[in-house]
Amino acid sequence: MSETKDPKMPAEKAPPGASNPVADKPPAAHSQPPPPPAPPGRPPPKNPGKVTVTIDGTEIAVEPGTNMIEAAAKVGSAIPYFCYHPRLSVAANCRQCMVQVSNAPKLVPACQTPLAEGQVIETGSQKARDQQRANMEFLLLNHPVDCAICDQAGECRLQDYYMTHDNLPSRLEHGKVQKNKRKILGPTIVLDQERCILCTRCVRFMDEVAKEPQLGVFGRGSHEVLDIFPGQELTSNYSGNIVDICPVGALLSRDTRFKARSWFLSASPSTCTGCSRGCSIWADSYGQVTHRFRPRENEAINASWMCDKGRASYRDLSVDRLFVPLVGRGNQQREVSREEARQAAAEALKAHLGKGLAVLVSPTVSNEDLMAALHLAREQLSVKEIFVGGRAEGEADHYLLTADRNPNRKGLEWIAKGLGLTLRPFSELQAALKKGSVQALWAVGHEVPTDAATFAQSLEGLAQVVVQSTHSTPLTAVSTVALPAASHLEDEGSFTQLDGITQRHRKAYPAQELAMPHWQWVTELARGLGSESLWRSARDVFQAVKGEVPELADFGWDTQAPRNKERRGINPISTSADGRPPGYREFGAPRVRGI
Amino acid sequence: MSDLPSSAVRPPSQDPLAEDVDELEAHLDSQRMYINMGPSHPATHGTVRMRIELDGENIAKADPEIGFLHRGFQKSCENVTWTQCLPYTDRLNYVSAINNNLGFLNAVEKLIGITVPERAQYIRVIASELHRICDHLTMIGATGMELGGFAPFLLGIEGRELLWDRVSELTGARLTTSYGRIGGLNRDLPEGWTDKVLRSLDKVKTICAEVVSLLSRNRIFVDRMRGTGVISTEDALDFGFTGPCLRACGVDYDLRKAKPYWVYDQLDFDIPIGRNGDNYDRYLMRVEEIIQSDRIIRQAIAKLPDGPIIVDDWQVALPPKPEVYGTIEGVIAHFKLVMEGVQVPAGEIYDATESPNGELGWYLVSDGGGRPYKVHLRAPGFPLLAALPRMIEGKMLSDLIPTFDTINMIGGEVEQ
Repeated sequence: MSETKDPKMPAEKAPPGASNPVADKPPAAHSQPPPPPAPPGRPPPKNPGKVTVTIDGTEIAVEPGTNMIEAAAKVGSAIPYFCYHPRLSVAANCRQCMVQVSNAPKLVPACQTPLAEGQVIETGSQKARDQQRANMEFLLLNHPVDCAICDQAGECRLQDYYMTHDNLPSRLEHGKVQKNKRKILGPTIVLDQERCILCTRCVRFMDEVAKEPQLGVFGRGSHEVLDIFPGQELTSNYSGNIVDICPVGALLSRDTRFKARSWFLSASPSTCTGCSRGCSIWADSYGQVTHRFRPRENEAINASWMCDKGRASYRDLSVDRLFVPLVGRGNQQREVSREEARQAAAEALKAHLGKGLAVLVSPTVSNEDLMAALHLAREQLSVKEIFVGGRAEGEADHYLLTADRNPNRKGLEWIAKGLGLTLRPFSELQAALKKGSVQALWAVGHEVPTDAATFAQSLEGLAQVVVQSTHSTPLTAVSTVALPAASHLEDEGSFTQLDGITQRHRKAYPAQELAMPHWQWVTELARGLGSESLWRSARDVFQAVKGEVPELADFGWDTQAPRNKERRGINPISTSADGRPPGYREFGAPRVRGI
Repeated sequence: MSDLPSSAVRPPSQDPLAEDVDELEAHLDSQRMYINMGPSHPATHGTVRMRIELDGENIAKADPEIGFLHRGFQKSCENVTWTQCLPYTDRLNYVSAINNNLGFLNAVEKLIGITVPERAQYIRVIASELHRICDHLTMIGATGMELGGFAPFLLGIEGRELLWDRVSELTGARLTTSYGRIGGLNRDLPEGWTDKVLRSLDKVKTICAEVVSLLSRNRIFVDRMRGTGVISTEDALDFGFTGPCLRACGVDYDLRKAKPYWVYDQLDFDIPIGRNGDNYDRYLMRVEEIIQSDRIIRQAIAKLPDGPIIVDDWQVALPPKPEVYGTIEGVIAHFKLVMEGVQVPAGEIYDATESPNGELGWYLVSDGGGRPYKVHLRAPGFPLLAALPRMIEGKMLSDLIPTFDTINMIGGEVEQ
């Protein structure tokens, strides 16, 4: 845009009669009568440096270049649109955003039309509404009668705009055009060409954001379809985003298809823990089951996107979880109560105070968990060095995914430095184990950067292995005490991603059975070791320890937190029937769900 | 037992008169007696407890205690869509559920700003008046029974059952009718139903005449009703009386005339007015209102127009089933209306209809969504029950039963 604009500007402002070598000037002998006076120049802008327009009767001054849809949203006028996306180029092909403006005889698409000084825009005039209604009718003309079996139902723009902008019966007299109903595009995406309204958001996303152009629109007229390039498979690590931006149910995730109805899901603001990027996400859950992760808008980190690897990480939350404490080793392992587990763990640690006790923490747990654990290590265990576990490095990709697959390495570094503890790499722990200088191990988090089974074998000779783990792993199999930990969705907390941005996450649902957050187990252990600390929440931990960590001292644990539960799912039974809020239902035994 | 006077345990062989002459002048007013009436008592319709302090045979103090039927009606409505509130309204005054259903719908429709089709308005009037007759027959029959005559009750229930049969043909249920939908009705009159109703009304008329002949000039009935449970016009107004109990005091106030809704202003009927504000007048109001309701139904059936029974607006009314199963437009509208509810514009409204016991008022607040933000019900029975101590204190215990009967307090709507 800027290349075309700049040379024009001086030409318009040039005084009449100025020499222009390029212009074909007639000779003086053939001089014409003087040209008519130029039309009056544009009036000066009402607000210098801004564009002042009137939208639905409200005058507003916006930055030049602001999109009309965004400007209208500022005055509370919602212009309907399908193909427009603030982070993609403008295509103006859905024709749903047509509005009436004072400087054009016909309706104009709001997504594409630049705002002009003094322009008067009517988003809801009769003419505009007629057009919007007619457009909806065309979009629905060949749309299959699929709402009952469509995963998009409940969050579908076609449904929303039908109710607000159309609301009339069908006038179709013959059959609908039939296209490919289920085309597998790749490992994660399935396409229903009949539902597609050809807005090309997905095509533009693959071109402009994922930079892996693989989708296109083929054919003409009624035979026009969205499809993948012939012979290709949609294997992009960002393919999941096209499901999010698809305004209808044409592109669906094969992972979550037919698993949950969108109106039952509660959306909790959280953070993706798949890598050190720490994308902001919505965790959509029903009861104590998470069904999907969706990117949450965050300009500083992930814009509106997230990668498929992170998207798939929700599945770990319900596979091989450890929910009950275990005491004993190998065949002797038995399930015990929280209290029994706490005593066993405290005794195990007490027996090895200052005698070959190693502390292993994983940078996959939250700042609060780390604060509590490192505080205990320093105060009660008198440990100076902390071994760092966590997931092994992976491969980074060209956009969001980083090589470090641990979401909180930065936080661990800050907290260890603040508490005066030294971090030691995992290889040193392995060496120490080999040397035999370690007699007991306390692990917060089960992830290790090597093969877990091999590492677990090397622990078999230790007198005590206390593991706080969310999952049943080889590590918990060889532990003397295994404490079930809550995942990050099951409690509040914060993570610090690789650029040093700390993000709060909210609790989606409480932990199941006897699992507790890491910080809570640590608090229990600390009390078993004679401490009198009374941390009752992750917030308490943060407030108590943050003074020692300068980087986190200014973080507003409450003020910088996202709003809790932006959307609560509709619940089959009424909200207050059992005194629990909508997101906190159906805990315990599963039961038949229905309306 | 230990509180009994010592004379009660005196050996029978001794002559009490010989020793203690004072016993002949027993001081009966020496102590007040506290008795419970209810929560389960044959003469309390619904579950309500009266804590009564007796001074001899006079009531020194009466304290009605409600809450045994509390269901959290108002709060429950906030958790469901506007349409889903309807079954809750059935359980308010369960003897005349249609009046509650249609009263609630009328308020919601006013909040949205829609008018229901004329045919639906006529059918609403017919259904409401049918249930009004049922309610009044129940009250008259029960009063007769509790004052000692069983026949009026059997006759009243016979008439009520007859009408409830018609109601069940119309709505599918005798009590929990859930009749009507926002914007009109969920079902039209069944084939041949109006003729059946007219025949049933003829029968009810003869039943009613028989009940009246058994009661209105019955010495026992009149003695216990006339001049008992009196409330002055000023007190009735101050307490917030409405309906037959207010009109028995001589106040001409009936919402069907004072603020006509539906097609009541196109029908010819009278509002009976009493004079004394006593139990007998309240009974007579009901008797006369049955006759007037009968007139209303006959006129409405005669004038019943053809046409749609619900508005043709898919923002409010569910699309016809062929459209839902066959077109995407229909299935979207159906889905949105069922899952998200009718989108009622943000605002608040107080709207009332005349239910058998008086002004059934709804205060509704919408935040613009598919579920109510707030539902408040002004139950007509609440002020009536609140005034009961005023009406009964200082009177005989035997006056309590007829008074409690004629205010016709219904636990379902008072306690919600």
